[in-house]
Amino acid sequence: MDSQVTRREVLKKGLIGAAGLTVLPSVIAACSTSSATTAPTAAAATQAPAATPTPNANILTGKLTLGNNHSDASDLKGVNAINDAFKALTTLAVTTNTVDHNTFQDQINNYLGATPDDVFFWFSGYRMRFFADKGLATAIDDTWAKVSSNFTAGFANAVVGNDKKVYGIPVDYYPWCVFYRKTLFADKKYTIPATWDDLITLCKKMQTDGLTPIAFSDKDGWPAMGTFDILNLRMNGYDFHVGLMTGAQKWTDPKVTAVFQKWATLIPFYTHGYAGLTWQQACDTLVRKTAGLFFLGLFMTGEVATVDATASADIDFFPFPFMGNSFDAEQALDAPIDIAMISAKSPNLAADLVNAKAYMEFWAKGSTQLLMYQANNGFIPTASDADTTKFDVLTQKAVQIVSKAQKITQFLDRDTRPDFAGANAMQSFLLNFLNAPTQDLAKLQASIQAFWDALPVYAGN
Amino acid sequence: MSVTVMAGQRTAHNVARRRLSRGALYVFLTVLALIFLWPLLYAAYTSLRPYGEVVANPNGFFSTPATLNLNNYFFVWNGGNYPQFYLNTALITIPAVILTLWISSMVAFTISRFNWGFNMLVLMIFTAGNLLPPQVIIVPLYRLYNLIPVPAPLSDNGLMYDQIIGLILIHTTFQTGFCSFVLSNYMKTLSKELVEAAMIDGAGVFTIYARVIMPLVRPALAALGTLLFVWIYNDFFWSVMLFKSGDKRPITAALNNLQGTFFTDPTVVAAGSLMAAIPTIVLYLILQRYFISGLTLGSAKG
Repeated sequence: MDSQVTRREVLKKGLIGAAGLTVLPSVIAACSTSSATTAPTAAAATQAPAATPTPNANILTGKLTLGNNHSDASDLKGVNAINDAFKALTTLAVTTNTVDHNTFQDQINNYLGATPDDVFFWFSGYRMRFFADKGLATAIDDTWAKVSSNFTAGFANAVVGNDKKVYGIPVDYYPWCVFYRKTLFADKKYTIPATWDDLITLCKKMQTDGLTPIAFSDKDGWPAMGTFDILNLRMNGYDFHVGLMTGAQKWTDPKVTAVFQKWATLIPFYTHGYAGLTWQQACDTLVRKTAGLFFLGLFMTGEVATVDATASADIDFFPFPFMGNSFDAEQALDAPIDIAMISAKSPNLAADLVNAKAYMEFWAKGSTQLLMYQANNGFIPTASDADTTKFDVLTQKAVQIVSKAQKITQFLDRDTRPDFAGANAMQSFLLNFLNAPTQDLAKLQASIQAFWDALPVYAGN
Repeated sequence: MSVTVMAGQRTAHNVARRRLSRGALYVFLTVLALIFLWPLLYAAYTSLRPYGEVVANPNGFFSTPATLNLNNYFFVWNGGNYPQFYLNTALITIPAVILTLWISSMVAFTISRFNWGFNMLVLMIFTAGNLLPPQVIIVPLYRLYNLIPVPAPLSDNGLMYDQIIGLILIHTTFQTGFCSFVLSNYMKTLSKELVEAAMIDGAGVFTIYARVIMPLVRPALAALGTLLFVWIYNDFFWSVMLFKSGDKRPITAALNNLQGTFFTDPTVVAAGSLMAAIPTIVLYLILQRYFISGLTLGSAKG
């Protein structure tokens, strides 16, 4: 009986709370109706192509919609700052549709095939060419002609489709390097390894000092790809790597065996239980100085800053050690490039195309990209006229390393077809290898090649 | 005399035994409740901690706290744009529940009160549709949504795709079958004489539906409404597949916003998940009587 009474009291209190809840949505509704009514974009389709260029100004009329996958708070701030600057220049307000990065990626097929926004952010390399080949992107050769002088050859190559047309503007990139803590290296009198042998010596020394020599994780599936890429680039060179990614070379090649064998010698130095760790957890061991080295993209500095802001200034990096062969001169590395593209099926594109191209041109400026960089220093500007004096020390170093590189690759999952890079394909093959590095490699390589051969024929490439 | 002593001893013995078993029961139930609540409590605990502190501690998420605060909740509410997403959910869920109950009550009324030969067949079709997993029809549905024109006030792109109305309709479609089934069974338990009396008094079909039957099925409507609210609120699939605009998605799909491109703060995700769960928990506490009766509703034919 007693319990019955108390339950009723709980219910009463709950009812009061519920009354509050039912009021709340109407209050929110009252606040947001105004913003909701400004959102519709269909009206533009009925308007005449409005952007007749006026002779002396950048003034644009009509509309422009942007599909934005930069959803992290800081990144969104950067995109908004750029849109504000664009509006200040052209009076055109960009309607931004922000979708979180992962969902945007998962939905990309549906999105581009249905009613996409005029301009959207995407990745260069195979992923760009894939949608260009499917006719889901608009070529922008005329825009590119105006801005191409602002980009180095490496970036220019990254936005060319299989039909030799240009489909994007490179907006940012980040390199993959080996990270370490300066104070740890100073305390233990470690030196930066320039060659593979130096690296192994250093790892052994770290092990005797009670450290995990190399922080490693592969729960996310993709981190291991970075190591495969760099080993393959260092041992077999850029041309072989690209050939392997596009199917011109075979996975059963003894050169691939050599990569796996080399990799196997590195695995004893990895974090224990890496298959179950996320990259953030691996990164944290570097921050706490229980691990000595960490091979990842420059974006890892974001995690460091969140975990321990004081450690940020103590982070430094160097390019992956060299093998002492003819490919050392290439100084190749993974430096994935993000790009802006114009969709093909946007319902308003006919009316918005002039605006969209003006917006692309705006993104090609160093001053624009710098706004993004200032919001999140993981976005290194690609434009040559970006003011490098505004870069922090790490970024300057990254720019230096990348500019020295004769060859740049995108990253395994951006350089090959998506159905080959996925969780049931390369990700699981690499995990399989990591779980048993001493296994019959010929068998593993044969199964990778068999998987590739079984993929449906895709005309592009 | 010895018998009464024996009886007294026995009752004392029984009482002690009953207390013991009662105690064991309570221990068992408490342990079971804790096991059930563990993920929720752990998430609540995690959501109160700053990420930096969790990571700095070698024990990570299993460590004892130095700081506990509500910062993650404030971050989610403001930075995660939660008010907007709560509103989106309300705009989808509330009309969908009302529409489903309205339509299925009419179907149920027709099926249970009038006999036109293939009642059973209609009911079977409705229920069979309910057995179809939604994933099966997503590709054709997605294409259809991109072809069906919808006029301006209901749609800002002239299509069913990427519109709140589209989500409301697909939820209504999928829930109507089950609701019709349950409501028609419930209506069959109402006495036929009521309807006959109303007919003799000159009431038309709509009057009987609106003024005789509907007031009587209110308990069933309340139970179904509770279940429907929870189901539609928890939907993730449709809202991910049928929306392209980030700012139109309901709260369940918007939870993904808390995951960064590379970096994800698990303490913030915990806070966001709990906040997304709050409305259903509150609703359950208020309406649990209906919720439980809803589970057995229409299971017995009167």
